[in-house]
Amino acid sequence: MKGLLLAMGLLLLALPTRADSYEEHDYILNCSGCHRMDGRGSRTVPSLIAMAELRGKPGARAYWAQVPGAAQAPLTDVRLAALLNWLVKRFTGQSPNPAYTGEEVKRLRSTPVRDPAAERIKIRDAIVR
Amino acid sequence: MSRLDRWFEGMSRQSARRLSRRSWLSRFGGVLVGGATLPLLPVARAAEKHRLGEDGVKGLKGDPRRCEYWRHCAIDGFLCSCCGGSHTACPPGTEMSPVTWIGTCRNPADGIDYIISYNDCCGKTFCGRCMCNRNEGERPLYHWYRNNDINWCGGAKSQTYSCSTAVVVKAAKEAQPEK
Repeated sequence: MKGLLLAMGLLLLALPTRADSYEEHDYILNCSGCHRMDGRGSRTVPSLIAMAELRGKPGARAYWAQVPGAAQAPLTDVRLAALLNWLVKRFTGQSPNPAYTGEEVKRLRSTPVRDPAAERIKIRDAIVR
Repeated sequence: MSRLDRWFEGMSRQSARRLSRRSWLSRFGGVLVGGATLPLLPVARAAEKHRLGEDGVKGLKGDPRRCEYWRHCAIDGFLCSCCGGSHTACPPGTEMSPVTWIGTCRNPADGIDYIISYNDCCGKTFCGRCMCNRNEGERPLYHWYRNNDINWCGGAKSQTYSCSTAVVVKAAKEAQPEK
């Protein structure tokens, strides 16, 4: 009985944090329309699953916050930072380290990339010395 | 055989002695009419409100062929329910576009905002029936992924727009526009 009460108490404590996380909601409303629910994109839209190809590459972190879909999303810097942390973890299997912050996202999104597709190839094929 | 006959004869004579034929007729008629009018009672109508839709969303089913239907709050196009499909399925001969624009609508039955995906059906000429243009929460073209004036059939095999669906994705954390 005590254990049950403890578990219920913990569950109640966990509820407010769950209610405050907007990542999935923001993903569905701002990304999934084109990148689709599972992130695989389509003939005309890049796949988010392919983000794994850029994992750990120099420049990838900034690039993900600068692509038009991210930089121009109608979200605050803090909400976009939270969404990016969630998104990178989901599609590359690794949480960004350190996590994106609102200030960093604000700085990055103010300088969007002009040619996202070319920039992506450059980051992917760069030889790391 | 004769025992069965006798038993039936006894039963029918007994009931004939006890019941008048008119009383039986009136009762039988009462059951018939009463059964038919039961759904008209307020009790039955109140139960309707708690019915679950085909996608598990609570509420009156409403008429998906009408523009006023709650899911259509942000739609711009012909309703697939009037074009041989439904509000969740494309008419035969068309393909649902994989890319789509997404908005939120409030369900009056439970007061909850739901995320609605307005997938277009593509591959046949435009349906032309039940035009609906409500656009609540729509953004201008420079937010193209929140705009419904562009042809979302761009992701399908054929770019010919036929009609639009309104599929519930899940409950929204907040209504549009975001804070």
